[in-house]
Amino acid sequence: MLKINKLHASVADNEIIKGLSLDIKAGEVHAIMGPNGAGKSTLSYALTGREGYEVASGSATLDGAELLEMEVEERACAGLFLAFQYPVEIPGVSNMEFLKVSVDSQRKARNLVPYSSSEFLKLAKAACKQVNLPLSFLKRGVNEGFSGGEKKRNEIMQMILLQPKLSILDESDSGLDIDALKIVADGINSQRDGQRSFLVITHYQRLLDYIKPDFVHVLADGKIVKSGGPELALELEAEGYAWLESYDRNAEQEVNA
Amino acid sequence: MSSWLANTISEAEQVNDWLSPKRAESLALLKNTPWPNRKTEAWRYTPINVIERARFSAANDTDVQITAIENLDSIDLVFIDGIFNLQASTNDFPEGLFITQLSEGQSCEWALDGFKKTKPNKHFFGLINDALATSGCIIDVAANARIERPIRIVQSFTSGSQSHTRILVRVGPSAKVSVVEQLQGDELCFNTSFAEYDIGEAATLEHYRLAMQCQAAISIGGSHFSLAQSAKLTSNLIGFGSQLSRVDMDIIHAGENAISKLNVIYLLDGKELFDLHSSFEHTVANGTSDQNIRCIVADRANAVFNGRIHIHRDAQKILASMNNRNLLMSEDAQVNTKPELEIYADDVRCAHGVTIAEIDEQAMFYLQSRGVSRIDAQVILSFGFINELVDQMPNVAIADWLRPQLRNRFANMEIR
Amino acid sequence: MTDQLDEALQREYEAGFVSDIESRTFEPGLDEDVIRRISAMKEEPQWMLDWRLKAFALWQKMPEPDWAHIQYEKMDFQSISYYSAPKSMDDRPKSLDEVDPELLATYEKLGIPLIEQQQLAGIAVDVVFDSVSVVTTFREKLKEQGVIFCPISDAIREHPELVQKYLGSVVSQKDNFFAALNCAVFTDGSFVYIPKGTRCPMELSTYFRINELNTGQFERTLIIADEGSHVSYLEGCTAPQRDENQLHAAVVELICLDNAEIKYSTVQNWYPGDENGKGGIYNFVTKRGICHDSAKISWTQVETGSAVTWKYPSCILKGDNSIGEFYSVALTRGAQQADTGTKMIHLGKNTRSTIISKGISAGKSNNSYRGLVHMGKGAKGARNFTQCDSLLIGDKCGAHTFPYVESRNPTAIVEHEATTSKVSDDQMFLCRQRGLDPEKAVSMIVNGFCKEVFKELPMEFAVEAGKLLEISLEGSVG
Repeated sequence: MLKINKLHASVADNEIIKGLSLDIKAGEVHAIMGPNGAGKSTLSYALTGREGYEVASGSATLDGAELLEMEVEERACAGLFLAFQYPVEIPGVSNMEFLKVSVDSQRKARNLVPYSSSEFLKLAKAACKQVNLPLSFLKRGVNEGFSGGEKKRNEIMQMILLQPKLSILDESDSGLDIDALKIVADGINSQRDGQRSFLVITHYQRLLDYIKPDFVHVLADGKIVKSGGPELALELEAEGYAWLESYDRNAEQEVNA
Repeated sequence: MSSWLANTISEAEQVNDWLSPKRAESLALLKNTPWPNRKTEAWRYTPINVIERARFSAANDTDVQITAIENLDSIDLVFIDGIFNLQASTNDFPEGLFITQLSEGQSCEWALDGFKKTKPNKHFFGLINDALATSGCIIDVAANARIERPIRIVQSFTSGSQSHTRILVRVGPSAKVSVVEQLQGDELCFNTSFAEYDIGEAATLEHYRLAMQCQAAISIGGSHFSLAQSAKLTSNLIGFGSQLSRVDMDIIHAGENAISKLNVIYLLDGKELFDLHSSFEHTVANGTSDQNIRCIVADRANAVFNGRIHIHRDAQKILASMNNRNLLMSEDAQVNTKPELEIYADDVRCAHGVTIAEIDEQAMFYLQSRGVSRIDAQVILSFGFINELVDQMPNVAIADWLRPQLRNRFANMEIR
Repeated sequence: MTDQLDEALQREYEAGFVSDIESRTFEPGLDEDVIRRISAMKEEPQWMLDWRLKAFALWQKMPEPDWAHIQYEKMDFQSISYYSAPKSMDDRPKSLDEVDPELLATYEKLGIPLIEQQQLAGIAVDVVFDSVSVVTTFREKLKEQGVIFCPISDAIREHPELVQKYLGSVVSQKDNFFAALNCAVFTDGSFVYIPKGTRCPMELSTYFRINELNTGQFERTLIIADEGSHVSYLEGCTAPQRDENQLHAAVVELICLDNAEIKYSTVQNWYPGDENGKGGIYNFVTKRGICHDSAKISWTQVETGSAVTWKYPSCILKGDNSIGEFYSVALTRGAQQADTGTKMIHLGKNTRSTIISKGISAGKSNNSYRGLVHMGKGAKGARNFTQCDSLLIGDKCGAHTFPYVESRNPTAIVEHEATTSKVSDDQMFLCRQRGLDPEKAVSMIVNGFCKEVFKELPMEFAVEAGKLLEISLEGSVG
C-alpha cells in the first residue's frame, strides 16, 4: 500500500531522513521506534507534505499514486492520515463543523455524496463515544482547552470518521496515563480490518503492548537500521537505544573498511 | 499665539551655545506647531492654560533640603531650579563613568549626536526643552563597565521658578548602570525635564523616574530610550500628580532581541492631574516589551493614560503586552485611558487589557469580617494593588523607601 | 502560505453589475438651490426645507475630519450629483405592478425578490435605489398592528409629528461633517415606528443600491420603538463595480423608549474597489441610538465592502438599567481601509454595555477599531465589557486598536481586552491534512474567529454573512 523508496528529507537545509525505504502492505501494522532526534516526526511530516520539510529525492507512493507531488489536502483525500503529536487549537471552530467539512471534502474528492447532517451526527456521536469523550466535545472548539489526553483521543476520533487507508500515528501514546492509552489503542485496533494499514511511531514499547505490530523498525540517524517482528520492540525495551551507538561505530568501521 | 509662548520663543532665540544648530531645528518646528488645546489629541484630557496664567522667574537662590533615600548609596547630581549644586553632589566617580555638565558638552564628541536622538519631535514641550534647556548633564558609561552605585539625579524646584533641563545618557555595549531621576518641589513652579538614554548592545539599564512633585507644581517631561541589539531596560515610574504633571515615556526597540519593561504607579489626590503617555516602537523583529500601569485616583483628581504599541512592517516575532488597571476612589475623580495598538506585522503576539473598578467588595467584606475597619481594609487592599509593582523593583533600598511614602499618601487621600 | 491565504480571500464582487435604467439625475454640484430642488421633488413641508438649509449652513463652516486612521483623496463635493432616481419612479408607483420590470429584475439578480409571495415569510423590505425608495413590502399588513414602515419621504408628509419630534434628536445637524451633509441633502431611507407594547410581527429590512454613476447616496433612517415594543431591523447594501469612488454618507437614528428593544443588523457589501485601491465606495456613516429606561439597543455589523469605511454605531445609555451592545466583524483586503467601532455613553444607573469587535486584515489593507466607553457621573453601578480581537493574514496589512475609556464614577466597572493573532501555519496544516483545500481552511478558521458576532445576526443574515466570507457550512451541526 505505502511504498517509500530511498527517501531523503531535510529541514532548514539539514538532512534528517537519509535514504529511508519502507514497504507497508494492506492490512499491516508497522511500528517505527527510535531515539529522540532520529527523524521520526520528520518522516511523518515529509509524507504528509508539511511546509518546511523538503524532500530532496526518493519516492513515496500510496496505492501506486506518487504522494510527494500532491498538495497536503490531496494526500489526505488519497487516504493518508496523520494523528498529530501536538494537535493545534482552532478557537471558535467547533469540532463538529471541522469533522463534517473534513469528511465532506474527502468524500467529494472520492466522488461520494456527502452525508446528510443527521447521518453524520450519528456517526460522530458513535465515534465520540468510542474514544470515551463526552458528546459535548463535538460542540467545543477544535482542541480548544482540551487536556493532552483529550487531544490525542480527539485525533483518534477523527481517524475513525475519516476511514483513511493509511494512518500515521505520531507518538499517540505520549503524555497518556494507562487508561487513556488503552482507549487510544482500542480506537486504533477497532480500525484494523485487514485492508487498512497503520504506521505507529513511538519512542516506547508500551503502546505496542496494546497494538500488536506485524513489523518493527528501528530508525536512527534518518535510516532504518534494523527491522524485525514484534520481538524487536521488546529487545529495545530491555536494552534501550544505547546499542545503536555501537551499531553506528560498527557501521562506520564497515564503511571505512 | 499666547504671550507665554511668544516670550519663550524670543528667549530661545537668544540662546547661543554648542547645541544651537540642533536647537534651531526644534525652534522652527515649534513656530509651526499650534498651541495645544483640548482638540489636540496628545493633550485631550490635560488642559495647559495654567502655564499661561502663572508668572515665573528664573532660578531662586535659596537653600533647599534634598530628600534623601535611606540606605541608598548613590552617586548624586543635584540641580536646584535647574542649576547644578556642586556641594550637594558627588564629585568622584568610579572607573568607566564620565559625567559632564550640559553647558560643557562640546567636550563630548558624541553628545551633539545624542541630543534629540531618542526623543521624538512630536512633543510640544519637548521642542521647548530642545530650544531652552541649557542646564543638565551628560552621562557616559564605558563599554563593559558595571557601575554598582546608582546615579541619582535630583532636581528640586522652588516656588515661582521656571527651568528647563536635559539629561543625555549613553550606556556603552555590555555595560550596566542604574539611573534614578528624582523630581521634587510642590509649590507653584514650572519645569520641563527631558532625559534621553541610548542603550548600547547587550547593555542593561535600570531606570527610575520618581515624579513626586505634587500640589501646585507644573511639571512636564519625559524619559526616552533607544535599545540596541540585546539591550535590556527596566523602568519604574512613580507619579504623584499635581496641578499639571505630564510624563512621556518612549521606548524604541532599534536592535533585535531587546527586552523592555515599564512599571508605573500613580496615586492622585485633591485636584491633581497626572498624564502619562507611553509609546513602544518595535522597529525591528524579535523583541519583548511589557508595561504595567496601575493607578489610584481619589477626590477630584484626573488620571490620564495613553499607551501605544507600534509594531512596524516586517518587525516579526514580537511579544508585546500592556496592562492598565485603575481604582477610582471618589465620585468626583476621573480616569481617561486609551491603550492603542498599531500593528503592521502578522507574526506577533500583542495584547492589552484595561480595567477600571472599585476595590473588590468581596475582599473588603472578608477583611471586615475579620475585624478590620472599612477604611483600613481599603488601605490594605489598595496598597496591595500597587505594592505588587513596588515588589518588582530591582533596587530594594528604593522600594523600601517608597513603601511608607505610598502608604502615607494613600492613607491621607480623600475618599468619598 | 501567505499567497495561499490571500488567494483564498480573493473573490469576485458578485453585485458589481450596472442596471440599464433611465434616470433623472441632477447636474453635479451643491448649493442652496440643489437642496430646494431635492425638497421640492419630495414635496416636503417648509419646516423640512428650513431644517435642511440650516444644516447646509452649518456644514459649510465645518472642516472634513482627519483623525481616523485612513488615507483617501478628499472628495470634491461639487462634482457629485445629489439626486438620481429612475424616471419610471416619477409618478410614484402605487403597487408592485406599476414598478419598472428592469428595477424588479435588478433586485431579483441581487437575490432579493420583491414580489411578496416569493419572499421569505416574515421579512418586510424597503428597497432604496439611488435616491428613492422603490417599494416597501408588507406595508398594509404591518399597518394592521399599528407598525409604520415606509420611506422617510412618505413619513415626512404623512407623519410629520413623529418626524419633527425625533429627526435630529440623536444625531444633530452639527454632529459631524458627514452627518451635517446628510441632513442637508438626504434623499430617502426608511422610517419605522413600533407602537407601545407591540412586538413587530416580522423582520424589517432595507436594501440599499447605488446604480447611477457620479452620484452620492445619502440615506436617512429613523426608527422609533415606543415603550415596551420590540423590532429587529436589517440592512444590506451593494453598488456596481466602477473605477470612480462614490460617496455614501448615511445617518441612522434609533429612539428606544422605556423597556423597548431594537436589534439593528447590517451586512455591508458596497463595492470595495479593485486590488490596487481603484474605485469603490467611500462609506462615511453616522449611526446612533438612544436608550431610555430599561431599553436595549443591539448593533450587529458585518463590514466586508467599501474602499473606505468610517462608521461608529453608538448607544447613548440615558435611561437607568438600559443596555447597549455592539457586535462587529470587519474584513478588509486588497487596498481597503476600515476605521470602525462604537461609542457607549453610559449616563443612567446600572447601564450595561458589551462590545465584541473582530477585525480581519488581509492583502495591503488597514483595519482599525476605534471606540469610546464613557462612564458618566450618574452611571452608578454601570458595567462595560469590551473585547477587540484582530486577525492578520499576511505581512503587508495592518491591524490597529484605538479604544478610549473614560470613567467619572467610582462604582462603574470597565473591562477592556484586546488581542492580535494570525492564522497559524499549524492550523492551516491540520485542516489541509484532514483534506480541506486552503480556501476552505482559511474561511473556516476566519469563521471560527468571528463566531461570537455571527451568532448575533438574524438567521437569514447569518447565512449571507457566512457566504460573504466564503463559508459553506450551512446545514452542518455544531
